[in-house]
Amino acid sequence: MSKEIKGYRQQPGKLPFSKPGSGGSEPFSKLRDLNMIPESEGGKKPQPKGKNKHDHLLTGSSVGRRTPLVDSNWKVTGQAKYGDDIRLPNELIGRILRSPHHYAKIRSIDTSEALAIPGVLAIETGQQHTDLFGVLPVTKDEHAMAVDKVRHVGDLVACVAAENEATALEALRKIKVDYEILKPTHDMKKSLEDVDEPIHDRGKYHIGKSNVQKRVFQEFGNFDDMKNPHASSKAKWKFAGVNHGFTEPHAVVADWEPSGRLTLYTPQQVPHYVHRSLADVLKVPMHQINVHRTFVGGGFGGKSDPFPHEMCAAILARKTGRPVRITFDRDEVFYTNRGRHPSEIEMNLHVDDEGRICGIETDALIDGGAFASFGHVTTYYNGVLHTAPYEIGSFHYTGARVWTNKPASGAMRGHGAVNSRCAVELGIDDLCNQLQVDPITFRLANLLPPHSSTITGFRITSIGMRECLERVKEACDWEQKFRKLPLGHGIGVGCGFFISGSGLPIHWDPNKFPHATVHLKIDMDGGVTIHTGAADIGQGSDTVVAQSVSEVLGLPIEMIRVKSRDSDTSPVDLGSYSSRVTFMNANAAISAAIEIRKELIKATAEICNVSEDSLVIGDRRIYQKKDPAVGVSYLEALHKAQEERGALVSSGAYRTPPMGGVHKGAAAGLAPAYSFSAYAAEVKVDPETGFTEVIKVWAAHDCGRALNPLSVEGQIIGSCHMGLGQVLSEEMKYARTGGLLNPNLLDYKIPTVHEMPEVVPIIVESNDPEGPFGAKEAGEGPLLPILPAVCNAVYDAIGIRTNELPITPDKLYKQIEKKVRKLKLDSPLDLPNPELIYSELQKSLEKRAENHKERDIERKLNQEREPYYNGTIFGKISTIPPEEQDERWTLSVTPSEEYLANPRLAGSAWKHQEVRHMKGGET
Amino acid sequence: MKTPPFNLFQPKTIEEAISISANFVENDEKFDWIAGGTDLLPNYKWHLNTKPNVISLALIDELHHLDSTHIGAMVRLHDLANSKETHPIIKKAAASIASVLIRQSGTVGGNIALDTRCFWFNQAEEWRRSIEWCHKCDCDTSADCRVIPNQNELCVATYQADLAPTLLVLNAKIHLCGPEGSRELFLSEFFELDGIKRNILKPGEIITHLTLDKEINSWSGDYQKLSLRKSWDFPEAGVAVAWRHAAQSSDEGIELRIATTALESIPRLHNDITNEALLNKYSINEIASKLRKDVKPVNNTAFPPNYRKKMVEVLCKKALHGLKGVLS
Repeated sequence: MSKEIKGYRQQPGKLPFSKPGSGGSEPFSKLRDLNMIPESEGGKKPQPKGKNKHDHLLTGSSVGRRTPLVDSNWKVTGQAKYGDDIRLPNELIGRILRSPHHYAKIRSIDTSEALAIPGVLAIETGQQHTDLFGVLPVTKDEHAMAVDKVRHVGDLVACVAAENEATALEALRKIKVDYEILKPTHDMKKSLEDVDEPIHDRGKYHIGKSNVQKRVFQEFGNFDDMKNPHASSKAKWKFAGVNHGFTEPHAVVADWEPSGRLTLYTPQQVPHYVHRSLADVLKVPMHQINVHRTFVGGGFGGKSDPFPHEMCAAILARKTGRPVRITFDRDEVFYTNRGRHPSEIEMNLHVDDEGRICGIETDALIDGGAFASFGHVTTYYNGVLHTAPYEIGSFHYTGARVWTNKPASGAMRGHGAVNSRCAVELGIDDLCNQLQVDPITFRLANLLPPHSSTITGFRITSIGMRECLERVKEACDWEQKFRKLPLGHGIGVGCGFFISGSGLPIHWDPNKFPHATVHLKIDMDGGVTIHTGAADIGQGSDTVVAQSVSEVLGLPIEMIRVKSRDSDTSPVDLGSYSSRVTFMNANAAISAAIEIRKELIKATAEICNVSEDSLVIGDRRIYQKKDPAVGVSYLEALHKAQEERGALVSSGAYRTPPMGGVHKGAAAGLAPAYSFSAYAAEVKVDPETGFTEVIKVWAAHDCGRALNPLSVEGQIIGSCHMGLGQVLSEEMKYARTGGLLNPNLLDYKIPTVHEMPEVVPIIVESNDPEGPFGAKEAGEGPLLPILPAVCNAVYDAIGIRTNELPITPDKLYKQIEKKVRKLKLDSPLDLPNPELIYSELQKSLEKRAENHKERDIERKLNQEREPYYNGTIFGKISTIPPEEQDERWTLSVTPSEEYLANPRLAGSAWKHQEVRHMKGGET
Repeated sequence: MKTPPFNLFQPKTIEEAISISANFVENDEKFDWIAGGTDLLPNYKWHLNTKPNVISLALIDELHHLDSTHIGAMVRLHDLANSKETHPIIKKAAASIASVLIRQSGTVGGNIALDTRCFWFNQAEEWRRSIEWCHKCDCDTSADCRVIPNQNELCVATYQADLAPTLLVLNAKIHLCGPEGSRELFLSEFFELDGIKRNILKPGEIITHLTLDKEINSWSGDYQKLSLRKSWDFPEAGVAVAWRHAAQSSDEGIELRIATTALESIPRLHNDITNEALLNKYSINEIASKLRKDVKPVNNTAFPPNYRKKMVEVLCKKALHGLKGVLS
């Protein structure tokens, strides 16, 4: 097509690339799709929620389009290499000897007989590797292998490298370990007490002689308002522990390369923390280690800790000089766990006579198992993440996380927020039942507005909660169904609130180092290489970064390639947890792309001799907005920009703005944005058997802006499935001996396709002012509402309020029997159906909801808005922090003597003194 | 985890298979039969009672025959569930077994002779070591039963297969063949009350096929299964019923059979209850309530035993729904 240029010296910008120099699968560039360009930028896309800081960067290329994930072809054709697919020449197989005891001291380990087996190359024990590591710098309490004692059945004792698996297993049987058995603790309540031998010793920070790992006390608000509530809902909850149930078991390959450097291939959500921990344990500087993230076969929080087996593989590889591969059996996955904490939560909600939530009192005791993991944060999240989306009068939270001799709990999708959220939403349903008002109206009349501050000082920016509720209400035909369906058939609603990225990076001060960094490189071919450390765990982080860059530079997505696997080439990223990747990493990618964009525009301006301001970027072409004929192709501009320096490179970073309070624990739950969701679930319950079947779910989620609606819908549907597991059938059961009873996927009951209802995903776009193109998270928040929605629907169906999850048929049937006996009925089929006859309050709540709706729109669109503090609904001045206008306002993070005289369950953890505060404790 | 290594034998005729097994029996060598392998192989992977030799029945053609009165031991559950000739009760039970993938491989014979299950037993090797083994797989330690402690005589592992009760209520005969020759007996005589022994199969003996009466289609009935999920799960309780209007009897007389599975170490017919019920003209509710009292589940499956027991009553009522009007 293009004419060959003759002569020795070629003209800049006229290299023999096809013109209009494109790339991508289409030879010619298309006009800008004005339907994807916002009105404020001259396009046709309506902006009912106002403008966003990234509007001027929109080219209509890929943001908001349904985009298949960029790595999906590898997966659907079976070519993706997961942890166990890494097969290096000359590899050895590693296996781990695990403890058969719940709690025991290791007296000695004799490996001589095992080492003598032909084909066994190395056996290592904890004695040689005593350095501690852990995901949080404040609670490092794990070793590569047990050093002095084992803390749960399945704890690591030794590791073997052998020529094949059978030999390795044989060696494990021949290792002789002499244990001194200690008295284990399996009951989390017992862990609150002082014991002879606590599971860990935290030295001067140890809390008494107990097994309390972390305790939290928080009181915010005016507690006088709570003392005489109009109505109260009180419930004591029990939540079973659940495991992530990801498809791919943990697997790792360690290889000390000829350079003397270690490469660790691992399916990790957070490669950077493994990188740090490896350096600690191996005593090797970080620059001598390359962490290669393989494809990850599902993470959900369960692959975000640095793991002992990763250390073991590296240790064995160093010892043998050969690559070592360790792949877990499913039971080992359950022993590693890090799933949702088994919890006992007391949830008391109070409302006043105007239907305002004047108090939330929460007491959460959570069972951390044998190690700290993310537990420090989980303990906070169980409380602070239900201070929104409702405006509340006062908030009291006591939380404690204890060690028990069980596999460690950790972070799992919806980290720390899921269980207490379920309890809050059921409490609200119960209150509405007492008040005889509609639970959706009640919620609509109690929401925080956009750009407000919660009772604990979280900064809320965009909030799409109201729209979520309204759209779900309409979609599910709520008015015709709620409290109107026959016995055994019901509908319920539940809401959710979750962080979109954690405001504080765990390892450093956000002012000194950014949360996320992205590098871009573009060479003559025009393809863009993105270097990012964000770990794609199937959630589509590679895709979202590629989309962001493609959008800013006006390139088709196939011209973007994402290199996110090796720590050698990726800038440091905190990894895939706390739903931070889209928000932080895409923001960083946009900043990096802006740099390139500037250079391309500058080059175009030079070539065309026009002003930079007049230029816009379209599909692979940069041209004058008013006269599109004046302009150059993307490649022409690129080559011009490359004249002096060759490949273009740029770097972009994201850091959170300063925000939040100053009290102890203020950073926990702090996020640059929050997601909101509201679900309605329709269920059928068989009163004769206690079986619950979820028929249909309407799921509205406010993700700010759906950069990729396909993927947002996938996250919503996937979250429903995962949440349904926890509410209907999944539970880590422990035998009377204390052992985990169901460490396999037959007995650990993840719902099958038959149990999965139809899910109608409803995407709500509140357009966050700081999110990338307005986006917030959609990975974890969508899980929260499904639990309460189903539980509330069960109540609507048969009038039974559950307070234990999962609601397996046997548990529900027990409650049915109890009620049948109490009401002296002949059969469960005669159970009374719950009723709703509106009280007078309903009208006033409707009125308030209407007023608040107008308030919200005004606050959303008005850029000159004043601050809004929680408490305004109770008559406080909205623009002044409540503690500054109310003398009786409490803000406390340590319990009073008065409280300690009669503490609640988790609160009793505060009866102990830290060792450093005891007499002689500092020694 | 890899399956431990074993020698695989693949005979092509029943005679060849029996000669191999007879040889092992004679030399006191341990071996297992393998049909579809969906029960045996997972157990092998967990190192549960593994044997050095395994004889496969897959290549023996005559074991694959299926028609309305003859069900070969090697007929796949998928084929049984989808054949037009299968009796509806059996069909319903077959279609409820495990998952569609497993039914493609699992066989009728394997399902009848399914190993009994127990949550103290169906676990990985390390796990069982942590409880110091159990009676069913004691690794030569003469370990005690973990379900009912202080008795290491009887294994109370639960028989959790779906087909047996339906074949029992249809009065099926089971045909066996072994080194000592062939024999046939009613399926109700096949099972033996012990979770380890399980049935009367002698060393080296196999199930060749099951047969049903020619008038089998005069029987109607139902199978009701209790399981947490609609796929994958073993039954937590299963009730099969079959009835027909008695051919000879002059008045309203009917014949009725009820069998249960997944509640004890063996599936069994409840003839005492049905006889009494017909004699005394019990209502459906009364029969269901009697049945509930007749079963004794123990705590070794996913649901607690008292719930399974209560559900037997509900399942029985549902299964007898077709007799509403005939029974009060």
